Amino acid sequence: MFLKPSKKLFYSSAVLIVLAITAVVIYPSDPIDYNTEVKPILNKKCITCHGGVKQEAGFSLLFEEEAFAPTKSGKPAIIRYKPEESELIRRLHLTDPEERMPYKHDPLSKEEIKILTTWVKEGAKWGSHWAYQKVKEPAVPNINDDWVNNNIDKYILEKLDAEKLSPSKEADKATLLRRVSLDITGLPANKKIAAKYLNDHSDKAYENLVNDLMASPAYGEKWAALWLDLARYADTKGFEADRGRNIYKYRDWLIHAFNTDKPYNDFLTEQIAGDLLPNPSDAQYIATAFHRNTMNNDEGGTDNEEFRTAAVLDRVNTTWSAVMGTSFNCVQCHSHPYDPFKHDEYYKFMAFFNNTRDEDSPFENPVLRQYQGADNVKFESVKKWLQQNAAPAAANYWITFLRTLQPSINAFQCDKFVNGANGWYATLRNNGTCNLKNVVLTGKSELLFKYASRVDKGVWRIYLDSLTGPLIKEVPVKNTGGGFIHSTTSLPDIKGTHTLYFKYYSPKIKNSTDDGILFEWFSFGNPFPAKEKPGYDSAYKYFNDLMMAGAETTPIMMDANEDLFRPTHVFERGSWLSKGKIVTPDVPAVLPGLPKNAPKNRLGLAMWLTDKNNPLVSRTLVNRIWEQLFGTGIVETLEDLGTQGLSPTHQTLLDYLAWQHMHTHNWSIKKTLKEILLSATYRQQSMFTKELLKKDPYNKLYARGPRVRLSAEQIRDQTLAVSTLLSPKMYGKSVMPYQPDGIWRSPYNGDAWKLSEGEDQYRRSLYTYFKRTAPYPSMLTFDGGAREVCVIRRIRTNTPLQALTSLNDSSYIIMARSFAKSMDKVNGPIEAKIKKGYEEMMYKPIAPAKLNVLTSLYQSSLLKYQNNKKAATVLVSDSTIASPTNRAALVVVANAMLNLDEWLNKN
Amino acid sequence: MTQKELHNQRLVREAQKAVMQQHTRRHFIKESAMGLGALALGNLLGGCSTGSNNVFDATNPLAPKAAPFLGKAKSVIYLHMAGAPSQLEMFSYKPELAKLDGQDCPPSLLNGKKFAFIRGVPKMLGPQASFNRYGESGIWVSENLPHLSTVIDDVAVLQAVTTDQFNHAPAQLLMHTGTPRLGRPSMGSWVTYGLGTENKNLPGFVVLTSGGNNPDAGKSVWGSGFLPSVYQGVQCRSEGDPVLFIKDPAGMDRDIRKASIDAINKVNEESYTEYQDPETLSRISQYELAYKMQISVPGVMDISTEPDYIHEMYGTKPGESCFANNVLLARKLVEKGVRFVQLFDWGWDTHGDSAGNAVDIGLKNKCRKIDRPITALLQDLKQRGLLDETLVVWGSEFGRTPMQENRDGKTMPFKGRDHHGEAFSMWMAGGGIKGGTTYGETDEIGYNIVSGKVETFDVQATILNQLGFDHEKFTYESQGRNFRLTDLSGKVIHDIIA
Repeated sequence: MFLKPSKKLFYSSAVLIVLAITAVVIYPSDPIDYNTEVKPILNKKCITCHGGVKQEAGFSLLFEEEAFAPTKSGKPAIIRYKPEESELIRRLHLTDPEERMPYKHDPLSKEEIKILTTWVKEGAKWGSHWAYQKVKEPAVPNINDDWVNNNIDKYILEKLDAEKLSPSKEADKATLLRRVSLDITGLPANKKIAAKYLNDHSDKAYENLVNDLMASPAYGEKWAALWLDLARYADTKGFEADRGRNIYKYRDWLIHAFNTDKPYNDFLTEQIAGDLLPNPSDAQYIATAFHRNTMNNDEGGTDNEEFRTAAVLDRVNTTWSAVMGTSFNCVQCHSHPYDPFKHDEYYKFMAFFNNTRDEDSPFENPVLRQYQGADNVKFESVKKWLQQNAAPAAANYWITFLRTLQPSINAFQCDKFVNGANGWYATLRNNGTCNLKNVVLTGKSELLFKYASRVDKGVWRIYLDSLTGPLIKEVPVKNTGGGFIHSTTSLPDIKGTHTLYFKYYSPKIKNSTDDGILFEWFSFGNPFPAKEKPGYDSAYKYFNDLMMAGAETTPIMMDANEDLFRPTHVFERGSWLSKGKIVTPDVPAVLPGLPKNAPKNRLGLAMWLTDKNNPLVSRTLVNRIWEQLFGTGIVETLEDLGTQGLSPTHQTLLDYLAWQHMHTHNWSIKKTLKEILLSATYRQQSMFTKELLKKDPYNKLYARGPRVRLSAEQIRDQTLAVSTLLSPKMYGKSVMPYQPDGIWRSPYNGDAWKLSEGEDQYRRSLYTYFKRTAPYPSMLTFDGGAREVCVIRRIRTNTPLQALTSLNDSSYIIMARSFAKSMDKVNGPIEAKIKKGYEEMMYKPIAPAKLNVLTSLYQSSLLKYQNNKKAATVLVSDSTIASPTNRAALVVVANAMLNLDEWLNKN
Repeated sequence: MTQKELHNQRLVREAQKAVMQQHTRRHFIKESAMGLGALALGNLLGGCSTGSNNVFDATNPLAPKAAPFLGKAKSVIYLHMAGAPSQLEMFSYKPELAKLDGQDCPPSLLNGKKFAFIRGVPKMLGPQASFNRYGESGIWVSENLPHLSTVIDDVAVLQAVTTDQFNHAPAQLLMHTGTPRLGRPSMGSWVTYGLGTENKNLPGFVVLTSGGNNPDAGKSVWGSGFLPSVYQGVQCRSEGDPVLFIKDPAGMDRDIRKASIDAINKVNEESYTEYQDPETLSRISQYELAYKMQISVPGVMDISTEPDYIHEMYGTKPGESCFANNVLLARKLVEKGVRFVQLFDWGWDTHGDSAGNAVDIGLKNKCRKIDRPITALLQDLKQRGLLDETLVVWGSEFGRTPMQENRDGKTMPFKGRDHHGEAFSMWMAGGGIKGGTTYGETDEIGYNIVSGKVETFDVQATILNQLGFDHEKFTYESQGRNFRLTDLSGKVIHDIIA
């Protein structure tokens, strides 16, 4: 804190300070750079007390206007060009720990003081963090070297030269083949592609390989898996009940988008705002399920608004962390302590997302209804009829309603129940009442609603503004036998926004605690249009049929119309219960503004994200692609490119890649990926040397190729592939491969893990059913997250539980059996079988020492099994095998081979 | 030397040993020319830094580490009764409530309150158990806990714990991870991250569940959140393999498994020669550890070898899946050096919708099932000299209302109580806790707190304190922010510390 300075102290130290300052000024050098030299000192030493949350003595260094504003003392702490008059500088030199800054901490080093002093002397020029500055076309280093394959290598070599390191030579063909296959498709290359490459001795061999692999449908599956982490994709809703969610079509959308190389700008636009595009296709609606992967709480008594709000906040946080590599979460409660984002700006950004119709509904509304078979024929027919006969707005309204059941109001929004209750439905018992607030009645002549009742002769009365207000409608409601049906009633002409009061009565209810009616939703609008036109009867019949038809549903984003508009408030200290002032959608001031003509909704937000002026989006993407290939991003903290993240190892390379991605490759992910894969940097062999271990153990300089443990998905998938079990089937509902009993123990629902049949047991891992509260065990063990929120980066660990999984998990034993069977097809001695198996795995001959070890394992196991044939029979689990003892020994070897370090790594 | 001094000396020795091991390791690393830079060792020696430097050595993440200051407890056994037991039939003696039994709840208790299931005006429900004072401390305990009342002088009862969550899953998350939402590390993960574990043949953080269900919040209550996944709780199971995949595959015996791990490691040594990747060395040692776990875990997890008097004491039945067995296992595990043992028992959600969920029937049965084993645990730890260094915590996610539940405004078939977060009871024992104390007070019907309020964060701060951590300084940086278990709150409850 800045204490009021004592005069005596001030003068006694003033001399010293002037001396110190003069000493600095005598030796001028390059001007001080705020971003690289000043900001790191401020962040580390000052901003904890003089930043967003704490502003001791009224001094903050977070924003430029704050740093130069008067502090509590009445004077600014920084006077440009005058370090000797700047309190900031003076305080660094004092010796009394009560006065000297940093308060009660070690003083700054001489070097640090010199930097700050010179910076003030030079005018204290403020700067914006590199990641918030527009991506400019960077100059490519002027380097010529035989090693260089493309521009990427020039950036890498420039830095290696500076560090007096040399790059490694290109990895051998076999290693490169396996590495690039796993990176592009997440699988080992199939025999055809592998053989083509290994026999292709042209200069283009490697590039052809990359092209072949990118054309494989497995490419989309590999890269979708990455995006599933970011989208916190799961097949359940999370929280207590963790019930199932039908959202696999979003996963399939991702696979298809990657395979068709949907440009990244469109890829983002459709996920953020597909529903707001003109005449959105089913696929564009489904893309918006990106932000419907937020969790839902179905538990009794939970406040739907609380969890709706939680979902909206998660969308804000996920958009920032997944797409813009920025941890925006902090700003929910206070201005960012380190980065220039203000508290209000969080809520302005939230306002983009705050008007979607999802309300933590247990039914997941709104959903896209995708009619099947005959129902779809009816849908197409109604659609055509509406387009030909109704006014465009009405046609659009009813087509949208058939697809989404929107606009409608969830009945659980009813309140003030007397002899009734609110849960998934609004339930009224005899003479029970409740109300529904903020209903816009202007221009509404019909109410369409969905309800269920088991009681005859029920009457639903609707009163205006109070239970003693005018009775505007008396609706007879029939006994539906308990099933939910939709019905309509006409409405009198009433203007304005009102609270409606509902009362239910039936003379047939004996017990006052028996349920009379359950409402699911209400939709205030107008009758199905064009009654006078030919074909109306059949179109309206189809409409009614479709309302009751079963359909494939996918949760989607849909904005409220103006009747249902929801204002967005700032939450004081981040609490949704303390609502502050109202804000409208906008983006943080430190970044470029919304593009001209961008509407202030999610579509405008998507335009802003995909504008080439957005400094974060392209950098975040190329950084992530780099991380997938090299194991670490150019900025290691994928989650934070801001000032609290780690600095980029190669900032100009990051900018080059971001520039290329937007301008040269026109947002094509495949082209960006290919450019990196073709670099000499990527193709290096990955051996450590003593020098590299000492100078660059984490391979931040890229003097060698990547050697990284594979992901949970890659490990299981490649093992399925080499053991010939892998099913090539794509898309569809998630599957349940073998998992031990007792993993799922969900309270309150009978959901159970039902082993999938046939090839569905051996599908790629991204198709495995993902339950948030109990993810697939081997996924978790190999560092997959629980996907409760956006998984921005998986931290790789190396644990004994991983070893136990790949050694003993029955799934891995089944794979080892199948792999042994395939090795056993080779005629000849055991060495030949192992050799062949190893080549299937690694595309290269096995080293003699390794072969010896594995052969000995075979021989010692064989001896054991010859003495215990029963055990052999159990292990091979196949009665058709002539010699179970030999096969069992081979299964032991196969199991060992599938646990080798070089198999679990990309080399 | 007093018991306490002996204990302190042991802790100092342990810390020194940890430091020495790190030195040795450092030496080894230099010898094997792997370079120091590959490993984040610096911080391990100084304990947890107060800055933002995350302390994580990927090659040996569970190595024992010294806490920043000398904690009294070395390990924790946390007994969580999922579903929320009624404090009014266990520890919270409310004679005035008996007088109100059957009367309409006054509106003052209902205005502005939100309940999970109570609707309209419920009736008050008097205590469904009688109470007496026990021990020298004279703490009130109900007839439902006849065994525990005999050791109540070892226990510090918190009578006024509060939470702002009234649904199970978020309340459990708040208690164990410091937030009602998913995604943060659990207490056990924090502790194993900070202290590592002493037995390298066993996981550092073990979870045992009983009652037929996992807790409502699922595995997230023992998840590692943003901490590396190696710190997540390892669920040891009472059926099937005690640790997933710990058993050799059918038809592959221990000798063959040993031979195959040896073979894997020999081939991996070849790979190491080729690539010089330090991670390969780490993998070799993890495969060795996996094998050691295969040997030691089933033994540790087998309670049948315990003597008869122990089974008598705990009421254990080897071969069954029950809370008592888990309690005995917990003792065995901390004895073997496991850092954090977390027990969840399912079935305490006494709404009154069935006999099993009635506070006068089901609750008594549940109490009977935990009373003897928990008492035995405290006695057994004491007789082994382990109680001083083992912190035992008993509690739940919230308590229950003094009103009788009237779900959806209807009369329930049995006597039950709804969720109540305003005030409930927990207790701690051992690990430097002052036995025979009560802390906090609620009003005469147990509805609101009068004094000594304890928030979930205070419970966490106290547990960390007993282990040697200042909860405000024990942080991990994630997404640009330093997180701590207690978020932005938490006060150590000094009144219950010896």
